[in-house]
Parts: sequence; structure tokens; C-alpha cells
Amino acid sequence: MWNTIITSLPELLSAMIQYTIPLALLSFLFGLILAVLTALIKFIKPSENKALKYPWLVLRAIASFYVWLFRSTPLLVQLFIIFFGLPNAGIQLDPFIAATIGFSLNTGAYASETIRSALMSVPQDQWDAAYTLNFSTTQTLNKIILPQAIRIALPPLSNSFIGLVKDTSLASSITILEMFQVSQQMTAKNFEPLLMYSLVAALYAIICSILTLLQHYLEKRTNKYVKGSAA
Amino acid sequence: MISLKHINKSYEGKTVLNDISVDFPAGKTTVILGPSGSGKSTLLRSIDLLVRPESGSVEFPNLTYDYSKPISKKDSFSLRQKTSMVFQNWNLFPNLTVLKNITTAPMTVLGQSKAEAEKHAKELIKRVGLAGLEERYPSQLSGGQQQRISICRALAMNPEYILLDEPTSALDPELETQVLRILEELCKQGQSMVIVTHNMDFARLVSDKIVFIEDGTKVYDGDTKDFFENPTPRIKDFLSGISIDPTVEEK
Ligand SMILES: Nc1ncnc2c1ncn2[C@@H]1O[C@H](COP(=O)(O)OP(=O)(O)OP(=O)(O)O)[C@@H](O)[C@H]1O
Ligand SMILES: [Mg+2]
Repeated sequence: MWNTIITSLPELLSAMIQYTIPLALLSFLFGLILAVLTALIKFIKPSENKALKYPWLVLRAIASFYVWLFRSTPLLVQLFIIFFGLPNAGIQLDPFIAATIGFSLNTGAYASETIRSALMSVPQDQWDAAYTLNFSTTQTLNKIILPQAIRIALPPLSNSFIGLVKDTSLASSITILEMFQVSQQMTAKNFEPLLMYSLVAALYAIICSILTLLQHYLEKRTNKYVKGSAA
Repeated sequence: MISLKHINKSYEGKTVLNDISVDFPAGKTTVILGPSGSGKSTLLRSIDLLVRPESGSVEFPNLTYDYSKPISKKDSFSLRQKTSMVFQNWNLFPNLTVLKNITTAPMTVLGQSKAEAEKHAKELIKRVGLAGLEERYPSQLSGGQQQRISICRALAMNPEYILLDEPTSALDPELETQVLRILEELCKQGQSMVIVTHNMDFARLVSDKIVFIEDGTKVYDGDTKDFFENPTPRIKDFLSGISIDPTVEEK
């Protein structure tokens, strides 16, 4: 048994470093950017200025449609459409890029709702305090509201990130040689499915545990930003 | 001087401010009194556009803003530049240190340099007796300390007026005294202030003028001495009610 583990571990680890981790990191990064933008579009009320009002309403409609679409369809189906479907429309994507796009869009849709609810949970008092000091809406968002919202969203965002790490195993179905795919290929050779799949499960668990520790560290470090933020 | 003229405000059809006109003289302290729900906060917040009355105007020497007309960004900026609000729950920014709570607005809004803003902030912190706490976060301070810092934050914008909405109502008597002392000091220095308070002793001590409102209507507007020494029957009721009403904060 140890022999099998020792011989398969290097390949699994290399798949982890080459695909699983970069896929998760990149998708989370892009997803987060997308999520903040989407959340802001849905959060900020259209201005009274007519010239800006209608473009903003259109943007809002697009944002809502995007969130609805990616939350109402299975991730695996989304990946299939992007990788196997789009070539029919003349868009051929490298599997890694297709997977990154799919995971980013999916993460972005979920995380945008997390961030939007965090934005809403920053008390009106904070806006009042910023406005009396003559901050503009943009300055208030940047300096006061978003930093607090991100802190509030930290635990649920960590949840999304951990979910994403595990979901990268779905990329195996669009030909990416990530960790799970490699474990399947090895199983086909060594006929040790219990051992191989347990091993790969353990590797996912290790990554996720490290992320959980990181989350707790970040929460602790930023605790003083939220505790007792006035009544 | 700030003059509010014919202010009307309602929420969901219920009139909260009914044709109120009142002057807040420069260099003086005006105290707004009235029972709970009478519209004191609404009136005070109108000056800083945190509440937008349906009609009426706010006037400064050479400047008039009509609440019933759209107020441009530029106008609301110059209006807010003249006043800064201090809140009952101080509303410090929990994500920023004490120093940054004070310096962020002068740097971002007034374009002060970091050095300049920090120098001013440190002077203010020293003035309220909290030197050494610059790098703490609000959550690491007591309520009284937070309120003193929030007064610094307001002063750092060099407003003509400071507007205070029950600045000590959320504080224990001991902490309240620390804050009141600072306000008394500011008052002596001729800082223009408008204060909503339930602390009658303090009102009597610092105010040059009392405005008493009830149910959104101005009932008294005048001299402090007169208010306390020759009260009308209604004011007498209010003043005696304050001292025995168990729901009102201990003084
Ligand atoms: N955002 C709001 N929506 C609806 N009604 C409101 C709102 N803000 C205030 N009111 C109502 O307006 C009235 C005046 O409120 P305001 O806060 O100005 O009273 P106040 O004199 O400051 O009272 P207190 O001493 O309790 O602070 C109250 O009846 C209150 O319920
Ligand atoms: Mg009030």
C-alpha cells in the first residue's frame, strides 16, 4: 500500500501544483473582482441624473441576469457549454482557459450576493458619518463601506473559496489533468480505487484545512475592525 | 449665522416638522430641547442634508439653499463644508485607526497633505486628553473616548458649526462628564454649536439660546435664562417631567 502511495504521490502533487491550485486561485481572483463589480452595480441606486440613470438600469439588468443565470444552472453544465458547446459558435478555448472562465463566472455570481448582503449590513450610520464629513459616494464606498463589507463577507467568501477548490475536480471532465483526473488515470493502471480516491480526498482536505487556518488567521487579525462598531 | 426658514418635513404623510423657522447665531451655542419624537434630530440633520425636508430653506450669509429644489453636488458640498455632525453613537469608522478616523476626511476631501492632517489630528487628540491612543482602533476605546475622538473628527474639517445630536445620551454619567467638559471648553472658545440634549443642567450651563420643539412645532425660541426662570406651564411640565421620568437617562 505504502508503495502505491509513494509512487503515485509525486504525480498527484504535480497535478495539484500545475492545475488544481492555479485554477482555484485564478478563478477565485477573477471571480472576486467580478463579484465586487456585480455587487456594486446591484447595490448602488441609480442616480437622479437622467443621463446616467438609464445606462445604470441597463447595467443592473445585465448584472441581475448574470447572477440568475449562473446560480440557476449546474456548474458542470456551464463548463460543458463553455468548452464543448462554444466551438459550435466558432469559439474554441484552451481547456484551462475554458475552466478558468467557467469557475470565475460561477464563483462571481455566488460571491456577488455575499458581498451585496455584506454591503447592505454596514449600518446607515456609517454613511451618515461619511456624508457629514463631505465624502462623496465613491469615496465613502472605497474608504469606509467596502473595507467593512469585505470583513463581514470574509467567512462566507472563505466558504466559497473552499467550495471552489473542491469543484475544480469537475475540470477533469473537460480534459484537464488536475488532481482528480490524474487519480482516475492511475486507478486504471493500478486497480486500487479505494486507495487512490482516498488519497486524492486527503489531498483536497489538506488544501482546504490550510485555507480554513488562513481564514481564521485573517478573521483574528481583522477582528478589531468590527467588534463593537457602535450600537 | 445659520437660518432655517419654514421647514416642513413629513414621513409617510405624518408631519414631523411643521413650518419651523429658527436662527442659530454664529459663535454661540444653541440647544434644542423637546420630548422624544418631537423632531429634534430631524431638524438638526436637515442642516447637514442627512435629512431632506420637502420645503423651506437654509440660509447662510450670502448663501441660500432651497430644500424644495434640486441641490447640486457642488452646493451640497459647500453646505456640508460649513457644518459637521457628531452623533449619539459617535459612528466612528471601525476599520480605521483613531488617527485615520480623523485624518481621512481632511486628506481625501480637503486635499490636505498627510503630514498636515496628522499634525492637526494629533493636536486635537491632545486637546481632548487622549494623546497616545492614535494607533488604536475604535473598538479598543471606551464610549466616552470614542465620542471625544468623533468630536476631533468633526473639528478636523474646520467646520463653522458643529452639530451634536445627543452626544452623551449613550454614555455613563462618568464618561458623560468627560465629553461635556470638552464641549464646555469649545463653547468658551466661541465655537458655533447646535446641540440636541436631554441634559438640562448642561443645557443651562452652555447654551446662549434655547429652542424648544414639540410635535414638530416650535414652542420656544429665545434666551436660556428666560427659558429656565420664567417657564410657561408647558415648559414647566417638560422640565419637571425630565427630572422624574424614569425612562430618561440618569443625569
Ligand atoms: N426615517 C424615518 N421614517 C419614518 N419616520 C421617521 C423617520 N425618522 C424619524 N421619524 C419620525 O419622526 C419623528 C421625529 O423623529 P426625531 O428622530 O426627529 O425625534 P427626536 O426629537 O430626535 O426624538 P429623540 O429625542 O427620541 O431622539 C418621530 O415621530 C419619528 O418616529
Ligand atoms: Mg433624536
